[in-house]
Amino acid sequence: MRGPALSLAFEGRRPWHWMGLDIVMLNAFPDEATRVRAATLPAGLYADGIDVVFRRGSHSVQALKDCSLDIPRGSWATLIGASGCGKSTLLRVFADIVKPTAGTALLHGVSPAEARANRIYALVQQGSTMLPWRSIIDNVALGLEISGLPKSTRYARAEEALALVGLKGFEKSLPSELSGGMRQRAAIARALTLRPRFLLMDEPFGALDEITRDRLHFELLRILEETGATLLLVTHSISEAVILSDKVIVMTPRPGRISEIIEVDFGRGRTPDLRGDPRFVQYEAQLRRALHQPA
Amino acid sequence: MTPSLAPRRVILPVIYGIALLIAWEALAHSGAVSRLVLAGPLEIVVAGVRNWSELGFNAGVTLAQALIGAAIGNVAGLLVAICFVHWGFFRRAVFPLAILCEAIPVVAILPVLILWLGNGMAPKIFVAAFLSFFPMLVNAYRGLSNVDEEVRELLYSYSATASQMLWKVRMPAAVPFMFTALKLSACSSMIASLVAEWLASERGLGFLVVYYGQSYRVADIWSAAILSCLISLGLYGITAACERRALSRSSP
Ligand SMILES: Nc1ncnc2c1ncn2[C@@H]1O[C@H](COP(=O)(O)OP(=O)(O)OP(=O)(O)O)[C@@H](O)[C@H]1O
Ligand SMILES: [Mg+2]
Repeated sequence: MRGPALSLAFEGRRPWHWMGLDIVMLNAFPDEATRVRAATLPAGLYADGIDVVFRRGSHSVQALKDCSLDIPRGSWATLIGASGCGKSTLLRVFADIVKPTAGTALLHGVSPAEARANRIYALVQQGSTMLPWRSIIDNVALGLEISGLPKSTRYARAEEALALVGLKGFEKSLPSELSGGMRQRAAIARALTLRPRFLLMDEPFGALDEITRDRLHFELLRILEETGATLLLVTHSISEAVILSDKVIVMTPRPGRISEIIEVDFGRGRTPDLRGDPRFVQYEAQLRRALHQPA
Repeated sequence: MTPSLAPRRVILPVIYGIALLIAWEALAHSGAVSRLVLAGPLEIVVAGVRNWSELGFNAGVTLAQALIGAAIGNVAGLLVAICFVHWGFFRRAVFPLAILCEAIPVVAILPVLILWLGNGMAPKIFVAAFLSFFPMLVNAYRGLSNVDEEVRELLYSYSATASQMLWKVRMPAAVPFMFTALKLSACSSMIASLVAEWLASERGLGFLVVYYGQSYRVADIWSAAILSCLISLGLYGITAACERRALSRSSP
């Protein structure tokens, strides 16, 4: 999968060198055939035949079996399915935390390891863990601190992100002083500060009340549209999946596989009025059927 | 501490303490116990005041040895713990040996230490360091490796280096554990330094105790012992105060 084309394209190792990536890539190859090949590399999230087997001693669990997906750059996908069907595991394969036993995963044409080294994705974890001794703003700015950005930039971006998730005024608070839902929003802000090309989110809205969740859904979509970032999000909520997706990836357990991929055709510029659209109910019903189908 | 509890927490121990001192004084005067066994509190205070310059100088020597030993032992313990966290093979090879060494009754091998290191401050510092080293090693290692799996994954997703992980996550997480070790060493290093002086020395509180003992100066012995006690308590108090300051941020 990774030939000379990629090593050329990723010569500049920093994300900001990649901004005009596609143009650079296409102009870099004088011969037509290579140019065409480079142009057809999956620029979004791509997985082919992913197997994940967890071993503990003689006991082994097949968490994922033959999972393949292709999420074009800038589009939005959600993973949905029963608890334990491997949603988090698939997300963590893209984050380079779980190494697949077999198969290929690519983010913008590069392996998860390279994507991580180049910091092109941001992860929101299921537990929204914070460092308990750091104030919220220092927690939110942690990723930028690790990247070595100067303090003023870090704080400016962290404050911006906190305002976006409605946590203005809690900068100096400690994580223990926040509710679970507020911590979850801080974790989302923490990911947004990185301005990632790929946003990998594991049930980021689980602990939120309906109203905040609604507001954040469309706030997130607005940010995604502005930045052109690609989204992969794990959820248990059928309506959330419909609102946030171009593609809903339905998974079934034991072993975890992708059973169905449902295209949601709401395009861009989605608003809360979406819920009133007759197609919304249809998509929900279709999704519910897919989830209840015996594997 | 709520305001209503504060006086009770102070007053009760003080009342019991005073009652105990009075009983002690009475016991010493009653003639039931020999003067050679137990001196009364007043007598001890008088002895302490009479010998204050001698006591002060020798306490300084013992304290200096304790502090230098504790500093060396704690720093070494922390450094080894950091190595343990980063190099698993080193930990697996060395940790069992370290535990084995901890079982060495260091006081029992004092004569050997004196042969090796002379009868100056060195063997006392060694013993104080030895006794501070293991609590710090074990506690710091526990603290440094006490990192939530999700936090580890988050830092991994940021491609954080091992040293960023150490300074931004492991060290802050280990601070409460390190204070546990420091408080232990606040008491043990003073005792270590004093006990090491018994065998061969020309200075220090331990030397004074032996010297007084040879001439049956019971009240003087007690005054030296109580002074050492007070110094240990002082060290403990300072450490505990630092701990409260350091941890007040993270646990409101
Ligand atoms: N580190 C691991 N070691 C061993 N088994 C694991 C590990 N991580 C996940 N598994 C197993 O893999 C399967 C899928 O787990 P995963 O966390 O991906 O599920 P999930 O779909 O995210 O569930 P949930 O909706 O409850 O979060 C489960 O059977 C789980 O026991
Ligand atoms: Mg999960």
